[in-house]
Amino acid sequence: MPCPVPVPGGLSPDWQYVLENACYLGDGLAVTIELTVVSLLVGFAAGLPAGVVEVYGHRSGSRPVRWASGLVRNAGVVLRGTPIVVIIMLTYFAAGISPAFLAATVSLGFRSAAYQAQIFRGAIESVDRGQMEAARAVGLSKVQSIRHVVLPQALRRSVPGFQNEVTIVLKDTSIAFAIGLAELLTNSYDLFQSIGHTTAIFEVILFVSGLYFVLTVSANRALEALNDAVAIPGGERG
Amino acid sequence: MSADDLLRVDDLHKRFGDEEVLKGVSFEMAPQDVQVLIGPSGSGKSTLLRCVNRLTEYEQGEITLDGTPTSEMDENDLRRQVGMVFQDFNLFAHRTAKGNVTLGLRQVLGLSKEEADSRAMAQLDQVGLADQADSYPAELSGGQKQRVGIARALAMDPKLLLFDEPTSALDPELIGEVLGVMRDLADQGMTMLCVTHEMGFARQAATDIMFLDGGQIVEHGPPDTLFEDPERERTGQFLERLTSLHGDDG
Repeated sequence: MPCPVPVPGGLSPDWQYVLENACYLGDGLAVTIELTVVSLLVGFAAGLPAGVVEVYGHRSGSRPVRWASGLVRNAGVVLRGTPIVVIIMLTYFAAGISPAFLAATVSLGFRSAAYQAQIFRGAIESVDRGQMEAARAVGLSKVQSIRHVVLPQALRRSVPGFQNEVTIVLKDTSIAFAIGLAELLTNSYDLFQSIGHTTAIFEVILFVSGLYFVLTVSANRALEALNDAVAIPGGERG
Repeated sequence: MSADDLLRVDDLHKRFGDEEVLKGVSFEMAPQDVQVLIGPSGSGKSTLLRCVNRLTEYEQGEITLDGTPTSEMDENDLRRQVGMVFQDFNLFAHRTAKGNVTLGLRQVLGLSKEEADSRAMAQLDQVGLADQADSYPAELSGGQKQRVGIARALAMDPKLLLFDEPTSALDPELIGEVLGVMRDLADQGMTMLCVTHEMGFARQAATDIMFLDGGQIVEHGPPDTLFEDPERERTGQFLERLTSLHGDDG
C-alpha cells in the first residue's frame, strides 16, 4: 500500500526508507496507543477497587470482603514480583490467550492494576482520618463515606502517581514484541529486518524512539493539565 | 432520672487496651439541656462524646436516646439524630461550604438537590455564612469553618448536638463568633452536650456542668453551684485555672 507521506529529497537512502514506510510505523503506533489506553482502563477498573479493598477490606466485618482483601493483596504481590515479559509469555503461550492484542491487554492491564492499586491505596491512606469520621458522624454509611468523601479527595491526589504509571505502561507496550503483536516496536523491527534494509537500524530505532518520546511527553502534559483542572480551590485544608 | 430524658448514659465503661478510660459514667439530659463537660486532658471527655454517637464502641453500660438503647439502633440512623461538631472542623475538603451541608441531606435524608440546597442555604444563613456558600474550606477562616461544621450538623435536624472542643483549634479572636452561634442555639432550645473549656459560655448557657476526672464524673451541678461552692477542692482548683485561662471573654 503506498504511503501518502511526502518524502523530501536529499535524504540518505536509510532515512528515505524510514519515511517511505511511515504509514507502516503509523499502524504500529495506533496499536501502541490502543494497547496503552485499554491496558490503563483495565488497570483502573481493577486497580481502584483493589486499592479500596486493600485499605478497608481487612478490617471489614464481612468474611467474604476480608477474604477478597487477602486475595487482592496476594495477587498484587505476585503481579508486581513477576517480570512483565514473563507475564505476557505466560498469558499468550502458556495460557493460550489469543489474539495477541488480547493477551497483551490482559498482561499489561492486570500488571498495571497491581501498581495502580498501590497508587490509590497510598492516596486513600493519605486522606485525613477526620474526613471519614465526619462523614460517618453525619450518618453516611462506610461505603457512602468512601464514595463521596474519601475517594474524591484520594483520586485527586492520585494524579501524579498515575502520571508515572501512564508513562510506564506506554513504554512497556513494546514488550508485546515478545509475542509478535504488530505494535510500534514490532513494526520497526520488521522494517530493519527486511532484505536490503538492515543498514537502516539506527534510523528506524531513532525515529521510533522519537515517537515514544512525543507520546509520553504529551500524555504527561495532558495529566498535568488534568491535575490543575481538578485542584481544590484554596488547597486541601478541611 | 425521669422517663422523658432525651439522653441517658448509664454506667458506661470504656477501655483502650489495658487502660480503662471511662470507669462507670452515668448522667441524664432532658430535652433542651445544655451540659458542659470539663476535665483535664486524658480524662475521657472526647471518648465519652464519641460513645454517644458510637464513633467509639464501649464494653459496658447503656446509652439511651429518647427511650431507645443506642446499641439497638442502626448506627447510621443514630448518627442522623445526633450531630457532632469537631475540634479540627473536619469539613469535607473537596466540597464548598454549601456542599458540606448538602452531602448528608442528599445521601442520608434523600432530599432532592433543590430541597437540600435551600435547606443548606437557610442553615448557612443561620450561622451567618450565606455569603460564603460557594467557598471551599481552605478559603475560610477557622471560625468560619467551625460555623460551617455547626451548620452541617444542624441541617440534619438532630435531637442532640455533640461539641468536641469546638473552639480549641481557633485563634482567640475567632472564638467569639463560634460561641455566639452556640449561645444562639442554646437559646433556641437545642439540646447540647459540649466538651469545652470556655467558662464564659458555660456560665451563661449551661444548664449543668460535669467535671470528669480519671474516667468518672466527680462533680455535676448547675454552673453557679460549681463556680461558687464546689463540693470538692479539686473541682474548684480546676475551674479557677480554667477561668484565669479562658476567662469570661466568651
